[in-house]
Amino acid sequence: MTTIAEQDVALIDLVDRLLGGGVVIAGDITLAVADVDLVRVSLRALISSVASLEEGPPPL
Amino acid sequence: MSDELLWAYGVVAAGAAPPADLVGVAGGVVAPVATAGLQALVSSVPQAQFAAEPLRGHLNDLPWLERVAREHEAVLERLLAEATVVPLRLCTIFEDTGGVELMLEREHDALAEALGRLEGRQEWGVKVLLDRDRPAPAGEAAHDEGGLAYLARRRSQLAAREEARGLAGQLADQVDGALRVVAIDAVRLPAQNRELSRHEGDMVLNAAYLIGDPAELGACVDALQERYAAQGARIDLTGPWPPYNFVTSAAAEQQPA
Repeated sequence: MTTIAEQDVALIDLVDRLLGGGVVIAGDITLAVADVDLVRVSLRALISSVASLEEGPPPL
Repeated sequence: MSDELLWAYGVVAAGAAPPADLVGVAGGVVAPVATAGLQALVSSVPQAQFAAEPLRGHLNDLPWLERVAREHEAVLERLLAEATVVPLRLCTIFEDTGGVELMLEREHDALAEALGRLEGRQEWGVKVLLDRDRPAPAGEAAHDEGGLAYLARRRSQLAAREEARGLAGQLADQVDGALRVVAIDAVRLPAQNRELSRHEGDMVLNAAYLIGDPAELGACVDALQERYAAQGARIDLTGPWPPYNFVTSAAAEQQPA
């Protein structure tokens, strides 16, 4: 088993976690742009089918 | 007004000793802001890139976003090696230390709960990929077939495809179920976007598990890999990750953004 530190972490694995995970802090004390929806909106410009990122886990 | 903002990475307990030489996003030196028995790790970032307007533009720039994401992740991984960390969402940016302190005070209970719950635990990611050309029942093709034969073959192809989809779902549920036995908590994530991941095969499971014993998880994954290899399944294990997928509900539900 290799650890993350030893791996060349794939961007998609980061995107999976960084844009969808982590504690979200209320918008009034952070910059408005930190609002996660904006990150998602921006990402939509990069990925044509980002729907799966925006919704909950899909039924398999 | 300062020409710098504060980028926040994550929160650790007051007693934790974060590494002193951490360099973060855009080359800023990572330092703690402490209050209320908690420390947030932050570094200065230039307004010119990280204020609302320029940031909005940069977020559309994939190489820029990737660099920042990797810098954020690298700091959290260093912290993770030393302490229990509650990771913050990418692009959590404050005007000044006063804002960071206010956040620690306001979110104190949720953050303290998460730190307690995550102590000694790790997040790992598991993906199951199925070969596209895995053995599957298929309709027989026939030469000179008539309309009825065509319809019958078409129906059997559709049924075979439906059956294959059902088997893939069952396999995903079986792997997920076996991993949940060794996990403390589990989250199923959407399958990854193929354009970004370039993965081969069908991603039938993408999940995160919170576990206490990585050796036990590794043994479980090895056993599952061996068991399902003949069905064309490949199990991909990554970790330990900062526990991104096991902190969202706690604070977000108490303080909806």
